[in-house]
Amino acid sequence: MLLIKCPICDCEGDETDFHYGGEGHIQRPTSSNPDKVGDEAQRDYLYVRKNPRGLHSERWLCERGCGKWFHALRDTATMVISKTYLITDKPPAELKKAGKK
Amino acid sequence: MSGKPYRIPSSRSQGAFGRLIDRDAALSFTFDDKTYTGFKGDTLASALLANGVRLFGRSFKYHRPRGVIAAGPEEPNALVSVGSGATHEPNNRITDVELYDGLVATSQNRWPSLAFDVSAINNTFSRLIPSGFYYKTFMWPAKLWPHYEHIIRHAAGLGTAPQEEDEAVYEQVHVNCDVLIAGGGIAGLAAALAAAEVGARVIIADLSPRFGGAADCIDGKIDSAAPLAWAKKAVKKLAAMDNVYILPRTTVTGHYDHNWVLMCERLSDHISEADRLANRPRHRLWKVRAKKVIVATGAFERPLTFANNDRPGVMLASAARSYATRYGVTPGERAVIFTNNDDAYLTALTLQDAGVSVPKIIDVREDTKSALISRAEDAGIEIIHSSVISNVETSFGGTSIEGVQIATRTATGRLAQPFARIECDLVCMSGGWNPAVHLFAHVNGSVRFDDTLQTFRPDQTSEAIVAIGAANGHFDLSTTIDESFDKGYAAGKSATGKSRPKKAVPPKARQDERSPLEALWFAPAKGSLNEGNKHFIDFQNDVTAADIELAAREGYRSVEHLKRYTTLGMATDQGKTSNISALGILADTLNTTIPAAGATRFRPPFTPFSLGSIAGTQAKHLFQPVRRTPIATWHHDNNCDMEPVGLWRRPFCYRHGTEDRQAAITREILATREKAGIIDLSSLGKIEVKGPDAGVFLDRIYSNVFSTLKPGRCRYGLMMNEDGFLFDDGVTVRLAEDHFLMHTTSGNADRIVGWLEEWHQTEWPDLKLFITPVTENYTQFAVAGPHSRDILQKLESTIDFSREAFTPLDYKSGELCGVPVRIYRISFSGELSYEISVPANYGLAMWQALMVAGKEFGLTAYGTEPLHVMRAEKGFIAIGDETDGTVTPLDLDLGWAVSKKKVDYIGKRSLQRSFLKGDERKEMVGLLTDDPKEVLPDGCYAVEQLLDKPPMKMIGHVSSSYYSPTLNRSIAFGLIKNGRARMGDTLQFPLEDKVVSAKVVSPVFYDSEGERQNA
Amino acid sequence: MPDLDRNLALSHRHQEMENQALGIEMSERDDVGMIDLRGKADDKAFMKNAATVLGVELPTDPRTSIKKGGIDILWLSIDQWLITTPLKSHDKTLSALTKKLTKNHALVCDMSDARSIIRLSGDRVREVLIKGCSFDATQPDFKPGTVRRLLFAEVAALAHFVDSNPDVIDLYVFRSYANYVWEWLLQTAHEDAGVGLFQVQDAPVV
Ligand SMILES: [Zn+2]
Repeated sequence: MLLIKCPICDCEGDETDFHYGGEGHIQRPTSSNPDKVGDEAQRDYLYVRKNPRGLHSERWLCERGCGKWFHALRDTATMVISKTYLITDKPPAELKKAGKK
Repeated sequence: MSGKPYRIPSSRSQGAFGRLIDRDAALSFTFDDKTYTGFKGDTLASALLANGVRLFGRSFKYHRPRGVIAAGPEEPNALVSVGSGATHEPNNRITDVELYDGLVATSQNRWPSLAFDVSAINNTFSRLIPSGFYYKTFMWPAKLWPHYEHIIRHAAGLGTAPQEEDEAVYEQVHVNCDVLIAGGGIAGLAAALAAAEVGARVIIADLSPRFGGAADCIDGKIDSAAPLAWAKKAVKKLAAMDNVYILPRTTVTGHYDHNWVLMCERLSDHISEADRLANRPRHRLWKVRAKKVIVATGAFERPLTFANNDRPGVMLASAARSYATRYGVTPGERAVIFTNNDDAYLTALTLQDAGVSVPKIIDVREDTKSALISRAEDAGIEIIHSSVISNVETSFGGTSIEGVQIATRTATGRLAQPFARIECDLVCMSGGWNPAVHLFAHVNGSVRFDDTLQTFRPDQTSEAIVAIGAANGHFDLSTTIDESFDKGYAAGKSATGKSRPKKAVPPKARQDERSPLEALWFAPAKGSLNEGNKHFIDFQNDVTAADIELAAREGYRSVEHLKRYTTLGMATDQGKTSNISALGILADTLNTTIPAAGATRFRPPFTPFSLGSIAGTQAKHLFQPVRRTPIATWHHDNNCDMEPVGLWRRPFCYRHGTEDRQAAITREILATREKAGIIDLSSLGKIEVKGPDAGVFLDRIYSNVFSTLKPGRCRYGLMMNEDGFLFDDGVTVRLAEDHFLMHTTSGNADRIVGWLEEWHQTEWPDLKLFITPVTENYTQFAVAGPHSRDILQKLESTIDFSREAFTPLDYKSGELCGVPVRIYRISFSGELSYEISVPANYGLAMWQALMVAGKEFGLTAYGTEPLHVMRAEKGFIAIGDETDGTVTPLDLDLGWAVSKKKVDYIGKRSLQRSFLKGDERKEMVGLLTDDPKEVLPDGCYAVEQLLDKPPMKMIGHVSSSYYSPTLNRSIAFGLIKNGRARMGDTLQFPLEDKVVSAKVVSPVFYDSEGERQNA
Repeated sequence: MPDLDRNLALSHRHQEMENQALGIEMSERDDVGMIDLRGKADDKAFMKNAATVLGVELPTDPRTSIKKGGIDILWLSIDQWLITTPLKSHDKTLSALTKKLTKNHALVCDMSDARSIIRLSGDRVREVLIKGCSFDATQPDFKPGTVRRLLFAEVAALAHFVDSNPDVIDLYVFRSYANYVWEWLLQTAHEDAGVGLFQVQDAPVV
């Protein structure tokens, strides 16, 4: 049972107070011009996800706090949540570094 | 020793024996229908042993007679069912069951009786049941597996499940603390004192009814006090502190991510059934978030592996000591001690003190010296070094011990010639100790092998958890005291920031030094391994040394594979007594070391706990939240059949007098079509969206356009998910230029609020709007039918209901009976219809006012089933009937509501994927059976071509099907491959006992021009 | 004034309370109006206008509330507040707020009937709370004034810590769940189901 702290309202609680929203930083390709998005790009956007052992960016909803979505960096091997940040923030440097490894 | 031959007299050694029992409080109980007497303070094990009972069960595979080998939660053999009827609970370890007056216990896994068991023949033919027997024999052919499984379960079962409903209540609590201490022995108490002293919020739990652990069974001094006296003082001090919570009878069952701990507290299992309070929870499951977890769970003694070591009367040395000291019970009159370490010498001395004859100690080790060994020698006990027990001799049937054979220990040999025989009725064995590392290892704690202890100790972890005392491999009192205070202070400091006070002086302890143990994984015997002298490793699963060697020879070299192949360490005890011995044998066989052979993982729970506590309060009438509409009491008073829709209870139909459901449905539909009907729609989702970008936002959410909707008007909309599949529909109202009210289906209301928030926050945060769900604030009714306008016009209102002023798809707000209302002229029934939204607290009174006003017009309450029939007559879809997560709006011929103009909306791009186009899609059509009385079953299939028997190629299914009283015939919708091109065709629907044929038609069966709703 | 009777979700349950042996007191508050207010805390004009109507500034610290006269303002999010008003003056407050915020980016919803407020009081209230929620309500940092959303007995709820010594906690649940929560409380708040957490105890057997 993860212990999570929301970066917006500081509400700390069990993961059941939050709602998991899958991998973070998935780019929606269609907002600008759907007709120009190829089938493969659409497939990747809809269904293809990373599954790393180690640092993983994911979206969480502060369901029993402020009701806002945020990002968390979680190590999938140790379960340690090393960082939480706003939903509108860019991927942090450590995530890029971990991805290259 | 007649009467109670095995109870030590209270006069012996100034009352040193039986300190936990109250000899003045006799309790009566039954075991297998026979009545016995024990004392308050007894466990079921000590009480039965005191009555001379030695046989408690039969083993799984060979049905060998089994006694009790332990005195605590590690007991693998003596499992019994406790209670009867509603309180029956199988698989209780008799060592953990506290005696109460009237306790009913029943043995398990025997047939027809414990003393005579027909399956014991398995023992005679055991050469035919080697390791992996079930696995090899019953794996093929796979289709017979259910049959095999039934046989195996019958033969090898644990106790039986209760047949009656459990009347007890259960609950759960969520608690945070600074320091959670698992185990209330000396180490746990010391750590609790230290952590509490610096102000930490401490919880200390012990699975037994008492604290102090082994304090009463060990030698040594803490400062100047005996360990037991020190423990008593410590507990008293802790109980007086309000930052400490002490939980007896509470098992810490598991440690999970981020120091989340599960504990099961047993509040009433120790009380006579007649005295249990009905409203006191039987078990309470604790969900604890601790800043620091301290594992002070002690250690389990290892059995030694020798021929017929499973015979009733062979017992762990520490258990025999415990029975004598705590309960005044001697499990035998003449005991032989078999050990590879010093601790068992304490048992020898204790038993001798208790009046048991202890002729010999068989010590695996060469001539070793220590203070304890000298004490035994001084007491006149003969010590035979470098020797083993090579066999246990029993009476016929193996139910009691008559003597043991002694042989010289050979370094690695499997065979030995006995050189002596000793008469005895009790064997006390000790193979060393295994720290109870379970909790430490549950999340990701690793263990390392300790050569001195010949066992695994806690090593690394990423969690804030630490082991102390015996659980950390420290068996010396002085080290335990030092370590426990140190780690207790450290835990307290990490939680509170406060250091150990300068004036605090932790106690110092001392204890006689022990000489080191020597590993012995296999005691040689006369004859080869399977010839009547089984060396048991896992008593509960009947796994022998021979089984492990066979598995290794067959190539199961990984310990995890070995475990699955032999079932070693599975079942209720999870290998507490067996794991290390098995690894020792495996390592020997593979000619490697134990750490190289590997360790199995430890997983929760530490000991089994009740399903009732897992369910907690969510049982019986509280099983699941039930949502009631504001009209619920009226529905109840009017004989309504309620229907679950998600968590809601909605009115299905109202049965008048002797009506059956179909009659009620027919009456309600005809009344609505001919006069007027009213339905409770309170559960419909209602969401307000307001802001300058609200219109743009809704254009992206729905597949059709909302930004062009005029204020004061309503429009039906479709929602797709990003995959292009339809998932909700409903009417949206434009309340004002920047203000919309969305309606969703009942089941999706909460989900869609989350859906809107997610898209707004994560994808389009630049859009300026707010989303507020208002579902619960309003009761909503539809008043439908030709007289609906007349009824509303009869009530006092600020709203003009005239045909000219209030046109289809209009929205108006105002007052009705003095209550502010929102009214929409929308229709799901196809009749002239007004949906009225009323503040919920006025809902019931408004409903009643409408019923009164509508009486002269024949206003009739109708339920969801009549509503469904009416919408189907009109060709309207229902989410969840016509959709299943794979259906697009185009499949349902709703292309008119799928915008081609809008640049982007959810699902637009996905809808263009190639596989969602073309003539392979299933399309919604109407179906009329050739026989108008025949109603197609929901979900039945249409076939391409009718054959004599399946398989037949299926081309689609029925998604909604009803008998229409309006049309006086059956109607249905089907999702049929390329359905719209099959208009006029007749399709075949093969059912179990007949074939139904139906014609493909337009799905609009009634009033296709909409004259009625526009009336 | 409406011509119709007002029926709260728990109106029909009060009579059964006499036969209950509970360790706490509980009742439904029936004299409260509620307003859900949306607006951004960093929108100065909005904050000012809201404060003008309510007579006090909206609280911006998470999980806090402010009391002014008969009005309580409960923080729900960085852009959401729940305002409770005396029922008598509710309509006045609601229309004043709606009017004043017309030109602001805001959403005012009357939510007087959306929730049931169950008032729990007594020394053992927090003990009952921890049987249903996912956090430890017995912790001292839940001081009077604290507001916490929670999943209570599998139901979305909100706890408002109103007072201490003895504790008074208002439990807000959506109206449709009120009867379920009430039944749930009848079982868990039974006087025989006490926990006695973090108090001086009788020493257990050693
Ligand atoms: Zn938050």
